[in-house]
Amino acid sequence: MGYTVKTYIADSDKLIIPGREVARYLGYSREAIMAGDELIEETIKKVRGLIAGKAVYCRYPVSFFGEDGIQMPYGAVHSSQLYDNLKGCEEIYVFAATIGAAFDRELGRAKIRSLADAALLQAAGAAAIEAVCDELNDRLREEAEAEGCSLHRRFSPGYGDYALENQKGIFEILNPSRLIGLSLMDTLIMSPEKSVTAVIGVEG
Amino acid sequence: MNISEHIMAGFTYFDGGCGTILQAAGLQPGELPERWNLEHPDVIQGMHYDYLLAGVNILKTNTFGANIMKFAGEGELEGIIKAAVDNARAAINAVESRTPLPGRSDDFSKASEKHYVSLDIGPLGKLLKPLGDLDFEDAYEIFLKTVKAGMACDVDLILIETMNDIYEAKAAILAAKESGLPVFLTTAYDESHKLLTGADPKTVVAVAEGLGVDALGVNCSLGPDEMMGIVDELCEYASVPVIVNPNAGLPRTEGGKTVYDVLPEGFAKSMEQIAAKGARILGGCCGTTPPHIGAMIETVRKMTPLPLSEKQHTLISSYTHSVEFGIRPILIGERINPTGKKRLKEALRNDDMDYILQQGLLQQDQHADVLDVNVGLPEIDEPEMMIKAVTQLQAVCDLPLQIDTTDPVAMERALRRYNGKPMINSVNGKEEVMKQVFPLAKKYGGLVVALTIDEEGIPTTAEGRLKIAQNIYAKAAEYGIKKKDIIVDPLAMSISAEPDSAKITLAALKLIRDEAQGLTSLGVSNISFGLPKRDLVNGIFFTMAMMNGLSAAIMNPGSMEMMKAYRSFCALKALDENCMEYIAFTDEYEAAVASAAPAAASGDAKKPAASTVSYEGIKDEKLIPLVDTVVKGLKDKAGALTAELLAADVPAMDIIDGALIPALDIVGKGFEAKKVFLPQLLMSADSASAAFESIKEKIAAAGEKQESKGRLILATVKGDIHDIGKNIVKVLLENYGFDVIDLGKDVPPELIVETAIKENIKLVGLSALMTTTVPAMEETIKQLHEKWPECKTCVGGAVMTPEYAKMIQADRYCKDAMETVRFAEEFFSGMSS
Repeated sequence: MGYTVKTYIADSDKLIIPGREVARYLGYSREAIMAGDELIEETIKKVRGLIAGKAVYCRYPVSFFGEDGIQMPYGAVHSSQLYDNLKGCEEIYVFAATIGAAFDRELGRAKIRSLADAALLQAAGAAAIEAVCDELNDRLREEAEAEGCSLHRRFSPGYGDYALENQKGIFEILNPSRLIGLSLMDTLIMSPEKSVTAVIGVEG
Repeated sequence: MNISEHIMAGFTYFDGGCGTILQAAGLQPGELPERWNLEHPDVIQGMHYDYLLAGVNILKTNTFGANIMKFAGEGELEGIIKAAVDNARAAINAVESRTPLPGRSDDFSKASEKHYVSLDIGPLGKLLKPLGDLDFEDAYEIFLKTVKAGMACDVDLILIETMNDIYEAKAAILAAKESGLPVFLTTAYDESHKLLTGADPKTVVAVAEGLGVDALGVNCSLGPDEMMGIVDELCEYASVPVIVNPNAGLPRTEGGKTVYDVLPEGFAKSMEQIAAKGARILGGCCGTTPPHIGAMIETVRKMTPLPLSEKQHTLISSYTHSVEFGIRPILIGERINPTGKKRLKEALRNDDMDYILQQGLLQQDQHADVLDVNVGLPEIDEPEMMIKAVTQLQAVCDLPLQIDTTDPVAMERALRRYNGKPMINSVNGKEEVMKQVFPLAKKYGGLVVALTIDEEGIPTTAEGRLKIAQNIYAKAAEYGIKKKDIIVDPLAMSISAEPDSAKITLAALKLIRDEAQGLTSLGVSNISFGLPKRDLVNGIFFTMAMMNGLSAAIMNPGSMEMMKAYRSFCALKALDENCMEYIAFTDEYEAAVASAAPAAASGDAKKPAASTVSYEGIKDEKLIPLVDTVVKGLKDKAGALTAELLAADVPAMDIIDGALIPALDIVGKGFEAKKVFLPQLLMSADSASAAFESIKEKIAAAGEKQESKGRLILATVKGDIHDIGKNIVKVLLENYGFDVIDLGKDVPPELIVETAIKENIKLVGLSALMTTTVPAMEETIKQLHEKWPECKTCVGGAVMTPEYAKMIQADRYCKDAMETVRFAEEFFSGMSS
């Protein structure tokens, strides 16, 4: 029996990229975050034109062993924090999402032309990939709730003691390089840069 | 009849999909299908046999993922490839000897006469640098291992398929060409008819034909109906036969299984249309089965293929798009060439890549179609700098490049690494030079610039220059280089030295166009060497040259006179639809005229935070406008104002100490007090950088050296590729007058230590964004302590804390760029006192 990996494509025009998040990434003070910022809004507009939010995801069974052992779809993992996060779940979603390579290229150009533009883009790109993940998360929640299940908080390799090394397993099962052009480097960094992999517990 | 003859003679049929057949036979998810060559040869032979019975000519070996990364064991790769070829041969033998395989049909009536085995090579599943981390040469070596294993077996051709990156395809083609066998390439496009890394079909044709493939086309990802537009484009531009191997429609999931929705009859109907467009090598990919391929052959067999023809398009390309010559004049930006440019010379000597990249991006903004890249200086390692310039430019700029060098080593290495089909500058009529350049052009592909000079010198008549051009065409043909891939430069030489020189050059342009139907290029601005206000003459000469048929100009796209000539010419010659580009240009023209007027201090700053500041501390009143400009973050104005101050003989150090640093301090204090935030701080930093650029220009032109407040190294540590933070620190430090050696990102500890010792550096700044790279930072500090103990370190980056910094024995933690500046000031003032 095989698991079918599904592709999700976000609509860049409708994606909610909050200016406040971008301001937070840029280290604005609380008052400045609340005040809003024209530069940030302009950058978000520009970023919409640069990104192609895409994700691949799949639902798998999950089981536990020992004190912190989790039987993930790609193999056994020890992580007490992920264990706590997934407690009570019999299934998980695993996903990999990206906003695409065009953003990286523009960021590369901005780094040469203007630091201010580069820093703004960097922050808006970070907010954009989070937005893609949030949107996908919402869709998966609806899917789960329709079956009477609920979702746990999403958890990524590199959080706490869930080692970054787990990227390898996730890439093996989802094969995102073929489907959405997302690849994993030997350093475990993803390319395109603004990308996220995560696990979401499904309970009930 | 060998395969090369077969594809010229008529339709040739590839087999179809493999994955769905193997899955039906029990292949498990995660299992490597290539192992089935050894474990289930009966299944593989049976699949090949069924395709042959359907009428197929070329079998793809079951080796799509057969590379040394997946099959690393001793002899494992060779074993799998040999078994794969043996399986294909066994099926062919069975059919050709009319001996059915055990338990198989004996209806051979539909089998074709000729059968060939193609060694199938798929992508490596890793992205090449700079997008990913696989080096081009490593990719080449991996492909070469597969190719060599194939050469040891009985294969007729190599098929490189499903490539979605033209750069990876190039590595694969170069490796495959080592075999001496015919090489076919098919690439996988997405719904927007582009490869994953951006190339369109026209670009793929330019690159692949340049590299000498024997046939090219499209496979996978799409069904035949979604491929029609791609096939049209391939057939329009390709001179070699076009291959089309579609999926059986688009995949969808049904009950957890992947299914394809185009049935054999529908597939055959679509393939009939594709054959009518001019494709002549036809088969299938995912989801297609022997019935699909059988139905297709049944239909297409009744057709007559369209004749093959040599296409006359002259194309060069980057990794995303191509530029076609002969339609309207092509602009080749000349700014990355050190001849007569002191600032660029200085950048090359100091390894200041940012300056070079800025020049590239600037010319792209100024509408250059192509960038000339010449980095030849006697005191630098030209091949190394050429590779660096080409790869780094290509990482940020998608214009095609013109590789401009007289150093054959630099040329070969740049052509090999170049991602696309470049211009090659240059060859000339000298036997020796042609012998050097043409083999490289043949191997790597490119449009060769041919200078009309030979052993006898430059002819003083237009006829003499035409004659050299014709000699060069003839010699190129001997190497298999087509005339369309030669562009003749009949040489523009200064009219101040030789009064008739422009007349001769213009006449030569006309002759080459009319007599030889050839393309031409000129270094236009050479015409005015030695004259005042050169732009005026250049612009008019450019117009005259275009009137005489000039196809490309090496020029400065930042020159308004040149752009005026170009935009007007295109509008007048109906080469600019609705004069749209001309109209857009008039805005740029007006802006340029306005900015040439003295810069005013006030302006509409987008920057509200620091606008109400007092400049009481500024002693010199004439510096206040510049201070205000930097505080407000008006980049263009800051550069212009600084240039004016320098022209009025204000010393550079007065500008730095009296205006730039006080301005940055005003903003910096606001930042420290959390009244100003990062974007505003950086807009001021960008403005100060623009001011510094004006100072550097002036200093380089005067042949002086800039004073420094101290030299230090900055690097993002090994394994980490995040460099925005480090770049911010760098620019601020430079703005405060420090001399920064920027080693870049992902820098090994050894290089940092080695550079520190070699350059006698006493302060190293290290940056890391990810927890996983902190050990690399620790290692760097450890090595510095051991080998260069007088050197201090400061560290920063998202994961750093003062505690962490202490733990890894850094001398100082700096939380942001301003704090690093303060630390550097403190450090270097302590050193000098």
